Amino acid sequence: MYSSLILLPFFGVIVLNLPFRALMKKCAFWLCLSIVLFQICLILFPQICCFSDKLDALGSFFKFDFAVDSLSRVMLFCIGIVLFTALFVQRNNCEDEDKIFNFANVSLLILCGMNGVVMVKDIFSLYVFLEITAVSSFILIAFNKESVAFEGAFKYIILSAVATVLMLAAIALFLVISGDTGFSAISSALKVSQGRFFIGFAVGIFLCACFIKSGLVPFHGWVPDAYSSAPASVSVLLAGVVTKTVGIYTLIRIVNSIFGFGDPIKHLLLAVGAISIVVGALAALGQKDIKRMLAYSSISQVGYIVIGLGTGTALGLTGAIFHLFNHSIFKSLLFVNSAAVESETGTRDMDKLSGLAKKMPLTGITSILGSLSCAGIPPLAGFWSKLIIIIALWVSGFRGYAIIAVLASVLTLAYFLSWQRSVFFGILKEDLANVKEAGFGLVFPALILAVIIVGVGIFFPLFINSFALPIENILGG
Amino acid sequence: MSYEYIVFSIVLIPIVGAFILPIIGRISHRLRNLLALGFVAASFMLSLYLIPPALAGKVITLARQFPLGLNFVLTADSLAVFMACVSSLLSAIIILYSFGYISHYENQNEYYFMVVLFLGAMMGLVFSGNLILLYVFWEITAITSWRLIGFFREKSYVLKADKAFLVTVFGALAMLIGFISIYQQAGSFDLAVIKESLKTNPVANFAVVLILFGIFSKSATLPFHTWLPDAGVAPSPVTALLHAAILVKIGLYVFARLFLASFTFAEFWHVVVPLVAVISAIVSAGAALIETDLKRIIAYSTVSQIGFIFFGLAIGNGLAIVGGLLYILMHGIAKAGLFLCAGIIEQNTKTKDITKLGGLITTMPITAVSFLFCAFSVMGIPPFGGFFSKYMVFAGAVNSGHLVITALFLVAAFMTILYLFRLFNLIFLGAARIPAKEASPIMVLSVAILGALSLVGGILIWYPSKFVQVVVTQMGRM
Repeated sequence: MYSSLILLPFFGVIVLNLPFRALMKKCAFWLCLSIVLFQICLILFPQICCFSDKLDALGSFFKFDFAVDSLSRVMLFCIGIVLFTALFVQRNNCEDEDKIFNFANVSLLILCGMNGVVMVKDIFSLYVFLEITAVSSFILIAFNKESVAFEGAFKYIILSAVATVLMLAAIALFLVISGDTGFSAISSALKVSQGRFFIGFAVGIFLCACFIKSGLVPFHGWVPDAYSSAPASVSVLLAGVVTKTVGIYTLIRIVNSIFGFGDPIKHLLLAVGAISIVVGALAALGQKDIKRMLAYSSISQVGYIVIGLGTGTALGLTGAIFHLFNHSIFKSLLFVNSAAVESETGTRDMDKLSGLAKKMPLTGITSILGSLSCAGIPPLAGFWSKLIIIIALWVSGFRGYAIIAVLASVLTLAYFLSWQRSVFFGILKEDLANVKEAGFGLVFPALILAVIIVGVGIFFPLFINSFALPIENILGG
Repeated sequence: MSYEYIVFSIVLIPIVGAFILPIIGRISHRLRNLLALGFVAASFMLSLYLIPPALAGKVITLARQFPLGLNFVLTADSLAVFMACVSSLLSAIIILYSFGYISHYENQNEYYFMVVLFLGAMMGLVFSGNLILLYVFWEITAITSWRLIGFFREKSYVLKADKAFLVTVFGALAMLIGFISIYQQAGSFDLAVIKESLKTNPVANFAVVLILFGIFSKSATLPFHTWLPDAGVAPSPVTALLHAAILVKIGLYVFARLFLASFTFAEFWHVVVPLVAVISAIVSAGAALIETDLKRIIAYSTVSQIGFIFFGLAIGNGLAIVGGLLYILMHGIAKAGLFLCAGIIEQNTKTKDITKLGGLITTMPITAVSFLFCAFSVMGIPPFGGFFSKYMVFAGAVNSGHLVITALFLVAAFMTILYLFRLFNLIFLGAARIPAKEASPIMVLSVAILGALSLVGGILIWYPSKFVQVVVTQMGRM
């Protein structure tokens, strides 16, 4: 039934671009929204979507071959919920029907790409869907045709192109070794011919490509520019799922299914993760622009995911994927909050803002929840994932890394507190006296995301039962 | 209703109640205030109800198993019941006082929400039988105190709130690593399981150091004490709640819960912890002697008195532990009284600078007498409550042979008498400088209750000390 998740957005784009565009323009947003809602429902309640079996027949016609495990399902849910948020933000920020129509089109493409990435089980299809996602995101960053946005998009294109070349070269080498592109075939071929130089080389450049795509230090240069220059809705999308899917998910999937957790890979992941955590957090401390701060915070949080992955244990992997999920939720929430502040006050400069909690209570409260979840303060969701990662690091003997991860939480808290202090928690400035609460499109998704953060945090045991324990089984599978 | 559910509702009522308060507050302020008091009083009443089984030595446990080896355990032994009674009683009085104090400020909904949530988290922490659960509630108290210290929203105040939050979170995270290393040693986060598996050998020193980081930062002991005097920018009931009654006692409680009731640490910690405590006590008493800001003096005094309690708990003698636990009660009552008096003085004279005050005893007689009673209790003058706890701590320490540290603490006790008399002298005696009237009846009533409790607590010392003896016997330290 999962093939419908790729076919629906794909046909959606085609339908939208058939004749009767005037009619299509009106319903583009709703079509896109309903496809996204369908995806969320399918993940949450797989049993009620029996009609999609008919679509499966259609899928067999297209010769798709998918493998959906619990990791993919987590990703599919994140993609659904974040795209849902982004659509509302876009609709709120932009009255122009043409733009919403264009946005809906590209969103469907990017949805198709990301769903493909998380469901395929051979490395070449993975590459194809990665490119679909990447190209759509270039367009989205430059969506408003502003010069800063072009600069951000251009940086992303260049670095992404480098990553693409590296990835393609690695895929070619794997094809030479194994004669196949399936994950399991490559994995067994690598096991047989271990220790040859160019295998190590191929693995190395593939990992590098993943690091670039996920924006890890030292390949993080494009992240702050791309996130901060993109329109609000696109920042939500990029930070929430796009880089997580094309970078982190690919990394987890490839390391888990193909490369395995050898010592060199573990140490590489741990080191890159730790450096990203610290550099990202320190850089975030110095930012005055809300979106840039959130972008650096993203780099830092992605570090946590990678460091959890680097333990190579079931517990660490669970923590990493749980944190990936949490990061999607709280980072989208924080970007929605920043969009709300920007749309009501016209600025993202923290020095010019103060005491907005009085005028924007819902934005204020949800931003506190998002920040504290990101900083790993209980009882919010982010605490549990960080806790699992830290326990995993500690019990597998990487105590130094555990201490780095813990101390960086204090830095995380420090920059979020300074954000709260300068934007929400304080005395209202006089020139902000006329500010109102943001519109429905910014408040509604923020509330949903905040409820998820609190709900997952408090009902963590229920959540972990249905979510984390299956993940342990995918290790090595 | 079975005892398990009573324990559960002691935690649940204030936490769930806290979320209802802001909604009620939109309809009626009076109803919200009464409900806030009601939730806290309900917790107090139910805690009282647990005293008979606690005295009988019964341990009530409510446990639910969670995945990943975590579990949800609420344990009500006599130590937990003692602490729950103390903190909910003080919270109830402080909320009563808030009715008058906070009534003309903005953001009252947030205020009541945070105070009641704080108490709920405190109750959860007290009854936690699992290290992770304990950590969760520990951090919830940190969140609430962050919002409360920054209540007035001034930039410098919010900075100080952030400082308090960061310092305590830093300590808590260090403590979390300590917990994880205990987990590795014992194979569980459940305190009962840890107790069984670490029966014979002490906890690794590494873990002790990390946990002490957390405890000292929360209990504002040198070198992590600086956030506490800064936190005096909060509204007065909050400073009372934070400093005196409850928040700083969290560290002490966790110390007692972990190192006295659950597992043992290496012998030399019985000297190291009192040494840190005595340095903290003397340095902060010195700071209290030269400060001129009313609330900062009382805050430094708190830092100093916390040192005495650590001294009693850590010296490793049954009598001293009884004294230390009684000290938590007596100091909580007396220090809450001092802070609430300070709040009245600050609100009515519009200044916190004691050099500008004087002669207030003529216009504020009840406040002055309550202040004096509470001060006597903190100084340790018989027959006030503080005397007995201080005496037991010293007697126990002498019995266990730590004469040098005891002598140093005597110096600190002498300094306590000095700075409190100086404070009383400058504020209440001499020529009247700033004319001020007595505060609203409800505020005066609250401080009078606390002043009276300081005296009654001393006269009826037999009852609490009996209870505390049961606590210490149950710990196996008597």
